[in-house]
Amino acid sequence: MIVASKKPIEEVIENIKDYDKILLLGCNECVTVCEAGGKKEVGILASTLRMYFLNQGKDMKIDERTLERQCDQEYLDEIRDMADQYDAILSLACGVGVQFTAEQYFSLPVYPGVNTCFLGATEERGLWTERCQACGQCILAYTGGICPVSRCAKRILNGPCGGSSDGKCEISKELACAWQLIVERLKALDRLDDYEKLFPLKDWSSDRAGGPRKVIREDVQQ
Amino acid sequence: MEGDCHYNSGNFRARKRVEQAQEILNTIGISGERAQMYNLSSSEGPLFAQIAREMTEKIRKLGPNPIKTALKKAA
Amino acid sequence: MSEVKTPSKLEKILRAGHLAVTSECGPPRGSDPEAIKKKAEMIKDHVDAINITDNQTSVTRMSSLASCIHLRLMGMEPVLQMVTRDRNRIALQSDILGAASFDIHNMLCLSGDHQSFGDCKQGQNVHDLDSMQLLQVVRKMRDQGKFINGDEIKRPPRIFAGAAANPFADPFEIRVPRLAKKIAAGAEFIQTQCIYNLDKFEEWMRLARERGLTEKIFILAGMTPMKSAGMAKYMKNRVPGMDVPDEVIKRLAGVPKEKQPDEGIKICIEAIQRLKEVEGVKGFHIMAIEWEEKVPEIVEATGLYPRPEPDA
Repeated sequence: MIVASKKPIEEVIENIKDYDKILLLGCNECVTVCEAGGKKEVGILASTLRMYFLNQGKDMKIDERTLERQCDQEYLDEIRDMADQYDAILSLACGVGVQFTAEQYFSLPVYPGVNTCFLGATEERGLWTERCQACGQCILAYTGGICPVSRCAKRILNGPCGGSSDGKCEISKELACAWQLIVERLKALDRLDDYEKLFPLKDWSSDRAGGPRKVIREDVQQ
Repeated sequence: MEGDCHYNSGNFRARKRVEQAQEILNTIGISGERAQMYNLSSSEGPLFAQIAREMTEKIRKLGPNPIKTALKKAA
Repeated sequence: MSEVKTPSKLEKILRAGHLAVTSECGPPRGSDPEAIKKKAEMIKDHVDAINITDNQTSVTRMSSLASCIHLRLMGMEPVLQMVTRDRNRIALQSDILGAASFDIHNMLCLSGDHQSFGDCKQGQNVHDLDSMQLLQVVRKMRDQGKFINGDEIKRPPRIFAGAAANPFADPFEIRVPRLAKKIAAGAEFIQTQCIYNLDKFEEWMRLARERGLTEKIFILAGMTPMKSAGMAKYMKNRVPGMDVPDEVIKRLAGVPKEKQPDEGIKICIEAIQRLKEVEGVKGFHIMAIEWEEKVPEIVEATGLYPRPEPDA
């Protein structure tokens, strides 16, 4: 899922302080799972902002609504009727949701309430870690299911580098060396011979480098 | 006392939430000390009374809710 | 192993069967070429080639390529160190051509330390290629005369390609496969991380020999003389991938502070003498960072001076 984390309150306040009526819009999917922008977080943030502005002597109207997703038009349409009651929307969705909301509500300022961080998974409650860089050409079949593009700090395809030490990455003792993990996995799968195969140069044109990307399924388009 | 809760881990989670709330209050300029957590059992009446007195004293020292004052000023 | 492929003096010396000696110099954090020229002058008669580091530890310095050019113009033999951290494949091929245009004939292909170690922690890193892929590219440019995309190169580079190796860092099961992979990628010489644990190094060499790898690549053993017991301790505890046995630290700590540098030189000399006898060790890469003036002494004391003059 997309993992995000709450923006510092000071930054959020700075963005919305001049408005009188805002809609705090949460999202029921990824940001709910990583506890950054779901209904609960919307409620806490709304409370916090109300108290802050009241303390400044300003009675700002802060309404709360959590949509199923903010990356699908049909859910964003649900607030179509009430949108003109507000000066601005503060969206706690990931960067995708914030942008899509802005596109759907063109004349309403939309502000982000979270920082979108990476594609990752829940290792345990309160700990989410990166697993995928969306390079567009998945090589997991060859690396024992462990991705060197997202989990190696240098995205080395023929690793490890010389800085790998005691199974940890040179940039942090808390970070596992991806290639150590790959070697261990290949060993467990009895495929250590694969290690010596040279990974060819990667085609990064399907990655961010190639420009904004799209996926089309003509068979389901209307 | 802390850790002796019949429901085991709930009191630790509650403590973390109270700390979160205190932090948020501090960030927005309202004293986090206005929210506090105490551990005691339902049979400890006198302790409950003492805590209530202690908290009341603390709040009196901190003064009225600054939001009330701010609203009055703005009006 | 014996057919010379480039005009590289280092290659000629190795293929002729001599023990090679290389050293390294770090460029300045400024644009004064005298800084690098002076260091090189100190050691040039005692080594066959001089490595120039490439923004080592991610600290921005005068570029390795420019420094190598200064040395080349003085008639010296540089080894261009190139990391993949800072350049994409266009810049890598371009800089290789730039080096070749000055007849720089040696290159060391590396990934590079992560930028979080250096002075630009907020910068991007590139890693379009890794060090093994860079080796493949250099070899393709030289042996096929082609760019990555297959286009012909006018006046292809003639570069003797090398890689680094750390016999102590990797998980045991891949130590030798890793060396085999580097050879398969095109490495023709290796310079290892500095060695203090001679037993462990000899064991790695034995495994490499067993697999026939020492017949396919020239291994130069990395040597760095210790200046003090403090330096030894620092390297043991704070530098990743470094294996410093306690005996080395004890030996240094056992002499008074003023005598420790001399003891460090002695240890280095003894190590080189021992490793000269190890089958498959084809030379030494002496890294005396900010202590370059000691290189001539070490080379002379180990019987490696004068350096052989290869046939033209």
